[in-house]
Amino acid sequence: MGLKEFVTRRIIQIVVLYFAIATMLFFLFRAAPGDPLAAYIGTGFTQEQAAQIRATFGLDQPVHVQYWKYMTNLVTFNFGLSYITGDPVWGIIQDRIWNTLVLMGTSVVLAYLIGVPFGAYLAWNRGTKRERFGVVFALISRSAPVFWTGLLGIWIFSFKLGWLPAGSMSQPGVTYSSKLAQFTSPSFLRHLILPALVQAFYFYSLPALLMRNSMLEVMNEDFVDFAELKGISDFAVMLKHAARNALLPIVTAFAVAAGFAVGGSVVLETVFAWPGLGREMVRAVIANDYPVAQATFLILAGLVLVANFLADLAYGYLDPRITYD
Amino acid sequence: MTLLEVNDLHVTYAGDPDVEAVRGVSFTLEEGETLGIVGESGCGKTTLAQAIMGALPDNGRITGGEIIFDGQDITHLSNRERREIRWEQMSMISQSAMNSLDPVYRVKDQIKEAIQEHRDASDAESYERARELMELVGLDPDRVEDYPHQLSGGMRQRVIIAMSLALDPDLIIADEPTTALDVIIQEQILYRIKELQRELGNSMVMVTHDISVVAETCDSMVVMYGGELMESGNVDEIFNNAHHPYTLGLQNAFPSVEGEKRDLTSIPGSPPDLSEPLQGCPFASRCPFAAPVCEEEVPVQEPVDGHRVRCHEPVPFEQIRDRSGEDETWLSQNKV
Amino acid sequence: MSDQNTTAFDSESAPDARDTELSTWRERQVDAWRRRLAFLKREPMGLAGILIMLAIILVAIFAPVIAPYEPTETDYGNSLAPPSAEHPLGTDNAGRDIFSQLVFGARPALQIGLLSAVSVAFVGMNVGLIAGYYGGYVDDALMRLVDFAYGIPFTPFIIVLVALWEPSKWTIVGAIALLLWRQTARVVRSHVLNLKEKPFVKSARTVGASDRRIIYRHIAPNVLPLVFLYGSFAIAWAILAEASISYLGFGDPTAVTWGQMLQSAQQSQALARDAWWWFTMPGMAIMLTVISAFLIGRGYEEQLNPELQEP
Repeated sequence: MGLKEFVTRRIIQIVVLYFAIATMLFFLFRAAPGDPLAAYIGTGFTQEQAAQIRATFGLDQPVHVQYWKYMTNLVTFNFGLSYITGDPVWGIIQDRIWNTLVLMGTSVVLAYLIGVPFGAYLAWNRGTKRERFGVVFALISRSAPVFWTGLLGIWIFSFKLGWLPAGSMSQPGVTYSSKLAQFTSPSFLRHLILPALVQAFYFYSLPALLMRNSMLEVMNEDFVDFAELKGISDFAVMLKHAARNALLPIVTAFAVAAGFAVGGSVVLETVFAWPGLGREMVRAVIANDYPVAQATFLILAGLVLVANFLADLAYGYLDPRITYD
Repeated sequence: MTLLEVNDLHVTYAGDPDVEAVRGVSFTLEEGETLGIVGESGCGKTTLAQAIMGALPDNGRITGGEIIFDGQDITHLSNRERREIRWEQMSMISQSAMNSLDPVYRVKDQIKEAIQEHRDASDAESYERARELMELVGLDPDRVEDYPHQLSGGMRQRVIIAMSLALDPDLIIADEPTTALDVIIQEQILYRIKELQRELGNSMVMVTHDISVVAETCDSMVVMYGGELMESGNVDEIFNNAHHPYTLGLQNAFPSVEGEKRDLTSIPGSPPDLSEPLQGCPFASRCPFAAPVCEEEVPVQEPVDGHRVRCHEPVPFEQIRDRSGEDETWLSQNKV
Repeated sequence: MSDQNTTAFDSESAPDARDTELSTWRERQVDAWRRRLAFLKREPMGLAGILIMLAIILVAIFAPVIAPYEPTETDYGNSLAPPSAEHPLGTDNAGRDIFSQLVFGARPALQIGLLSAVSVAFVGMNVGLIAGYYGGYVDDALMRLVDFAYGIPFTPFIIVLVALWEPSKWTIVGAIALLLWRQTARVVRSHVLNLKEKPFVKSARTVGASDRRIIYRHIAPNVLPLVFLYGSFAIAWAILAEASISYLGFGDPTAVTWGQMLQSAQQSQALARDAWWWFTMPGMAIMLTVISAFLIGRGYEEQLNPELQEP
């Protein structure tokens, strides 16, 4: 099977999966106890007014009609109207998508930049005390919840040392000409560092331990010995031959990692008051703003699927033995 | 000129218990010569090859004797110093050559790596050399573009052989280079190796358990057993005039297309446990001619110039030679 | 290792064991325990994990005895007091004793953690066994389900579920279990695929053993170590998930949980007020509990060496 067929097949799989998730979500919200508009429709509203509100949101239609509308709307990125503000949901969250992507993207990249060499280092020092401590340290990093390390980070670097801002993405009152201008501004970067590092600290242990395991397997291979026989230096062997081969499984794991990062944004963004999808979702759920909650959830899920797909492609590219079947 | 000189070499593997795999081996190799090291598995020949190459596993150590290569004592060189000799002057074809190629790099890049590590060659020059080397071993030079998994086992083996020649080393150590291949390819490759050696004039050490390979490709040979050399000398001399019972037994054990048809005789028993220190001749327990004197220190005799035998010869040599031709002698283990 | 387990389980599971077999069975049990203890000594990480976990379990069980105050007992005159003899870990903004809250907080954490892990292990193992053993349509269908589970982001899903229903302990356990089983299932399935081809399974089939018997009497015991491994990790994930949920405000409002303590701390400006005892301690507690679960799993994993992955 060639690249084209593989890509087509995967895309179809992803689309099907996505619609399955959307369907699940739809019925989940419908199946939940309570009236979605209960908080909204206070006791002061009359029956007609309540009915009118329901009609606006299409809640007076039979379920299968609602479902059909829902699915067809999805395709056009029409996520409906917010229960709270009445504004189109897409308009509200559009901006936030980039905010989340930049934050999570930076954290994952940092986590890999730290984790992969660390893992290689651990494997190369197999059996030593250094390696033992390293593994335990990686586990400790993974055991400390993000919201805790985030709070500590804010306390130390913002309150105590005053180096970094205490949260949010930008200083109030400042405007930017474009998203790109905003993301490259020094102010933004100052706001980005702490949350990205905090998340990366939680995350790096995955690529680190995976890399370590992978390297250990590869280090036993004959071609590593042969490279040494050829007179290549230890360091070059580790880098060019051992690490290069060990990286292959790390790439597939990246998909899982991205999935977790995306999910973790709900917590990270809440801790740092970062205006992204995650925080929006939490707020929407608390406020019973179902359309917004649904939309943010679906976009988060979509991002995970895309990450998976990219990882598959990357792996096929890196490993010459793979022929996409 | 003597290229390689090994004097009373001892190699031990640390462990529980320690295993002394090479126990006092001595031989010399002249320039342009091919030396065969023959013996059963477990006799220490691979260890010997690795020790010479400086490629012993982590727990292996040279615990005695010396190795002198091109006039230089390389016995206790550091890894860094070894690296300078490696590949440029001494290269090795190991048993698992087929798995020695990195799956994620093309053949040309792996050959290039070997060349550029030791020489100041440009990418273009290395590429040319890689193609040359492929032709040398009888492979289509265009296949340097391939990845290892696109080549068959025999082809990969040839790539490794080609790589071992890349820098025109003085010495090539080949450890069972053809064992994993089928018989027809074996023939081709051995022939090719011999041709190349004639053309390029390198010296070679050929480690194998197959005595017929030695007969075909080597000029001189040593027979190894239990970590020690039983017999050594010129190949023709040893084949026609073998003195040691073990050598004679080995000759019986391998089929030959020529000569009269006869049953193969194998030597009953198994090699000694190298974790134990040995007294006397390691072969004594399996030798049909062994006498009580064989339990003591065994001298090296030299019946013919250049042909050495480690044996007490408790029985006159002619008897050993005649009797070892008979299956009876081996199977019944009747001490003569 | 699996072959050893096989013979041990094969005869010990035979319901019609004779007395002579029984004595060797007992000997085998003793030997198995001896091996387990030896393994513990070899793996200090695993041992440390077990000890820490046991300590925390004891704290949870004896919370009313250990805690000097009621966790919800307020004392506004003494709010935000730093650690002292009276309040070893200080008080929060309503004068509640931090130490007592911490001690009682171990209960929901462990309850949810252990319950979730058991559910995850149970569901994951069974799905893996059935998918792996039967293959074909069953396998395809179950693996599609696993793919589906993988496609759903973990924490957001739990939030949605818990918010839509009620924030009780059971909802949380259910929500966690609904997704986390996916990894155990995949791993068990591939191990089963491997085991299916082994002689002991083939001979059981020849003898005429039913599918159910083969799966649960022969294959399952060999898969248990793997399930235990991922079960330990599941405890860790579940506790972290529960902590995140309660930090975000979706936890059980009647329970005192560590995550909720951190939420209160942040919302009451504990950072600005330097009440470090309030926001460092709950996080420490979470970290300690989670790492003990990881250590147990890691120590065991050294013996098994499967790939280490996120669920």
